Amino acid sequence: MHSVCCIKQVPDTAEVRIDPDTNTLVRAGVESISNPYDIVALEEAVSLKDRYGGRVTALCMGPPQAEHSLREALSLGADRVILLSDRAFAGADTLATSYTLSKAMEKLAKEHPIDLVFCGKQAIDGDTAQTGPGIATRLDCTQFTYVLKVDWVDLQKRQIQVTRKREGGREVIRGPLPALLTAELELAVPRRAPLPLLISSLQAQVEAWDAKILEASLNELGIKGSPTWVRAITSPPAREGGPAFDVSREGEAQAVSMALDTLMDEKGFLSKLLKRWEA
Amino acid sequence: MAKNSKGIEVAEILQDKCIACQICIGECPVGAIDLSPEGLALVDPELCIGCGKCQESCPVEAVKFERAGKKELSREDRGMPSEGVPGYEGVAVFIEVQDGEGVQVSWELMGKARELAEKLSTRVLGFLLGEGVDHIAREAFAHGCDEVHVSEHEVLASYRSAPYGHALTRLCERVKPEILLMGATHQGRDLAGVVATHLKTGLTADCTGLTIEDRTRLLLMTRPTFGGNIMATIYCEHRRPQMSTVRPMVMKLPERTPGREGRKVFHEWAPPPVELPHIVEFMGDALEGGMDIVQSAALVVAGRGACDPEAFHLLQELAEVVGGTLACSRPVVEAGLLPYERQVGQTGKTVAPKLYIAVGVSGAIQHLVAIQGAEKIVAINPDPNAPIFKVADVGIVGDYARVIPEFINQLKNRMGA
Repeated sequence: MHSVCCIKQVPDTAEVRIDPDTNTLVRAGVESISNPYDIVALEEAVSLKDRYGGRVTALCMGPPQAEHSLREALSLGADRVILLSDRAFAGADTLATSYTLSKAMEKLAKEHPIDLVFCGKQAIDGDTAQTGPGIATRLDCTQFTYVLKVDWVDLQKRQIQVTRKREGGREVIRGPLPALLTAELELAVPRRAPLPLLISSLQAQVEAWDAKILEASLNELGIKGSPTWVRAITSPPAREGGPAFDVSREGEAQAVSMALDTLMDEKGFLSKLLKRWEA
Repeated sequence: MAKNSKGIEVAEILQDKCIACQICIGECPVGAIDLSPEGLALVDPELCIGCGKCQESCPVEAVKFERAGKKELSREDRGMPSEGVPGYEGVAVFIEVQDGEGVQVSWELMGKARELAEKLSTRVLGFLLGEGVDHIAREAFAHGCDEVHVSEHEVLASYRSAPYGHALTRLCERVKPEILLMGATHQGRDLAGVVATHLKTGLTADCTGLTIEDRTRLLLMTRPTFGGNIMATIYCEHRRPQMSTVRPMVMKLPERTPGREGRKVFHEWAPPPVELPHIVEFMGDALEGGMDIVQSAALVVAGRGACDPEAFHLLQELAEVVGGTLACSRPVVEAGLLPYERQVGQTGKTVAPKLYIAVGVSGAIQHLVAIQGAEKIVAINPDPNAPIFKVADVGIVGDYARVIPEFINQLKNRMGA
């Protein structure tokens, strides 16, 4: 079984913010990490390899320093890693990204046909959840998003069954291989890298593919292949806050009373409350 | 002004403004821009030919470039007036169906579509897929839709990515809407990515603001990014439809006009001749006696500071007094105290209740982006510097274990109980 796992290197978003005084992006000290959902997806790919045999290839599209994420993938059990890096890939939106990744997979499939593609359900920087479905559509494989569990894979009958999240609950669904799965955090618990793999991953040569190797059409790559553009970047709108009453100054009874006065100031608040909010 | 050794005015990247989007790297015709060790764009002055392409493409004005005789283009000028893409017209909403009814987010989007359509002097379209669903068109008309386009087939009886993707793509190709809005539900996000890829058009996820730019008639789509720390405004100039997903409770539900009429158009559709997945079983979420936090008019929300099972009786009591539901922020779910279904936040649910009481919630940006639609926010927290107080309509600085019993008592008194 050949599984391919897509990994994105992302800034640790908890630390990215806009300086309210200068209205510029504060990036100092913001670390790059592997998208956590992708690492969960990789773990599932590797544990399926343990169960059914085969190989796991990890792909990462990004600047040269994104190879750190691929070394991490090697240390976590990927057999082969490929960095997709080219100036022509820069500025890609999800449409161009899914194009680039699917071109790489078409090339990989010529060597070893692909049975499963794994992605995280979304990346924590963009939160779009669009690249996975884009790849599945381009490769014309069965699409299962928000996967919580892989129940089984039947390589003879070319079928897979998964449990996935959907509105109001979970569904068990089966379909033909090849399939693309996007991972919820519940799908797997990433292992710790064993020391020998960790060491060999640091010494490994990371293979790099550019637009030429992918035989990609330049008009579909990067900024040229991206229909969406950014017009502006701003801080989130601020909500106007009201007064806060301090218990240590006013005492509980007084602070609560003043807070409730403020709430009740709005006409109709009490009556809405009494009517249990029914209009 | 910086010149290189050949005397050419060269571009310079303002490091504090650069967002490392790499657009300029792709645009530079001579490969003079690269990422610096800090991950930001850097111009090699000796390679730069001073063409100014990087400055034109930079979304955040991080390129400093002054060329003699060349008037600096304003952002407005760069957004070249668009004639639109000819042949595409109308603002469409994909009507998501659950248990034989349209889901609320579809009607919320219908209200937004109405507003956009009026600005564009065009009509509101509804796209409806399923089996035996055409009665839903009436609800669509009542919520402001002018035309409902329906494809019905037994294969569409329950949602699966491939046939729905195929059918919605066909509807877009036949009806040619200039805008297509979809709910950012599990289904909507699963489907939108398929359709946008088939149509090779732009798709913007989880938008919180949608407006029409007067001059260009383009849809400006604003969405939180980088975990909610930053808002990005996105547009899609050359491809149609301009696609966007929006989370439930972000747009306002429009007033319903019963009996409002519209046109219903049926479109033949046959599934592609391929093996489709088969749904073996569906297991509904047990809501554990509570209700869906997205639908609840009042929420009592436990945060890290109230991450204690002992506290939950008190919070539950408060929830009952205000006619609401107990919800929480992420640390409470991570501690295993409440299920994920109760989580409010960027990685949980977006809510817009009438009353939102935050107990021990510090107010991280990832939480705040998901409560912007709340009417009244009450915060109870011992830390006077907690960011939640900046957005709360009323705050009480103190220990919730002592404040809440007092709050319940006084509130009951005022309610005449």
